Amino acid sequence: MTTTDRDLEALSALMDGELQDLELRRTLGRVSEDASLRARWQRHQQISEALQSKRVSAPSIDVSSSVMASLEGKPSLSRNPMWSVAIAASVTIAVVMGGQQLLTPSAGVSSSPLISDIGGGVVPVMGAQPVQASLGAKSIPVTSRPSQDSTVVPEDVSAVYERLARDRYRRLNPRHAQAAALSHPAPYISYVRAPTEPLGSDSAQD
Amino acid sequence: MFAHRLSRWEATQPKTDPLVVNRTIMLALLGALLVSAGVSAQSPSRACDLDSPAKQLLNKMLQAPFSLAFEGTVLYERAQGRQFLTVTWPHAAGTGVLRRMNAEADPVAEPWPAPIDSPRRICDVIQVYVPDLESGPVIAGRQTQRLTLRPRDTLRLAHRIDVDAETGMALAMATAGPEGQMLERYEYAAIDYAVTAPDKALVNAPPAAYLPGRSVVPGYFLVSQDPDSAVFVVSDGLATASIFVEPLPLGAPLGEGAIIEGATLTYTRGTASGLPGGADARSGGKRGLLISVLGEVPLVTARLLADAVRPPVGSN
Repeated sequence: MTTTDRDLEALSALMDGELQDLELRRTLGRVSEDASLRARWQRHQQISEALQSKRVSAPSIDVSSSVMASLEGKPSLSRNPMWSVAIAASVTIAVVMGGQQLLTPSAGVSSSPLISDIGGGVVPVMGAQPVQASLGAKSIPVTSRPSQDSTVVPEDVSAVYERLARDRYRRLNPRHAQAAALSHPAPYISYVRAPTEPLGSDSAQD
Repeated sequence: MFAHRLSRWEATQPKTDPLVVNRTIMLALLGALLVSAGVSAQSPSRACDLDSPAKQLLNKMLQAPFSLAFEGTVLYERAQGRQFLTVTWPHAAGTGVLRRMNAEADPVAEPWPAPIDSPRRICDVIQVYVPDLESGPVIAGRQTQRLTLRPRDTLRLAHRIDVDAETGMALAMATAGPEGQMLERYEYAAIDYAVTAPDKALVNAPPAAYLPGRSVVPGYFLVSQDPDSAVFVVSDGLATASIFVEPLPLGAPLGEGAIIEGATLTYTRGTASGLPGGADARSGGKRGLLISVLGEVPLVTARLLADAVRPPVGSN
């Protein structure tokens, strides 16, 4: 089986996110079968990665993720193996242009005291480079209140994701605490942060 | 680097007809290659000057657990509530021990590990935080010096730490959000130091060495990874974030959301299989991935970390 011009064009379109579903399915199938196509895809990604590391931009998303998900066809509740995180900017300091819209807690929550002498301030650094987070221009509410009910209106995406975030906080924070403890000046604080109530409870109170 | 990785990748390609290649094995192999090639762990050595009293005190604070043994009572507060704790370091088992005194009448002893012990850590921290020093209050009967850690960028939180002037113990700490609001704080109500330093032979080493790998987001390094279960941990030497990847729950739309509990932000993002503008072919475009980032980081950092998630290069 040889690589055709159509395959190459489809691969290019795939990397640009321009393929429709049917063509995407066909292209992914071809990629799984054709070693030269896989190699070309990898080279494209490496070139893209190299270019991005030079210009100090936000990290890229590797398109081969969908291949793993679609070709393996694993049950949806199993985790996808062998993930990684991309290399980002080569500089240490960044000035973020977007994505910092941390809204105040929702109404009904007592506001936390301000310690403005340390918060919010950023020490300016010479040579800082801009970094743009994806979705950076879009603000989302970040709440600290416990869920009031367990029913979510399906079309309310923000409610769905707030609920998902709360659930993942309960489920995953114990594991996160193990990692965070190693860097905290008081390691036990990371464990105290982890919720102690049983899963499924909507109360986030300590 | 790229050429090297590519040559290794090509060297592993099967010589047989690609049609009969076991995709699962290949994916695993490529993933392992990426992991081994991508993490450029460096040997721990200090390569920075601690040329100010603030930096020196910060370093002393980071090293304090290895030269101290203590018992104390701690108040921990955040918007969602407060807890009273007793802590002991080190315990006979080689770890610290924590008891939540307001949880139940006879609280269980919960172990906590030794912090990371690396001369490189202080260098990583002062690269992204600016430490300032001033006189601090008396806490638990001990005179402190107030160490303020201001971030050099908007990718991390600010901290105010009251450090025991004699021992270097962090006796109180407050963490502030990007808007200046206090997210959480702790403070010792009482502390008793042992006369002698802990026997290093009795102190368990931390579960993972501090060997920061590649930079994922500016100032944040990959410190551990479990690609098989899609869990990654990054740290800037002080703040930590964990990244989890899983299939998007059935019926969930694409989107994002976040909650904050104390200083811990939980950010979730549903994506269409990681393909920009694409979708999972087998699911008719209805199924994707859920990326969860938990960390003591601002929202923008969580977003950048979610951006960075991907499977290994060439894992098709």
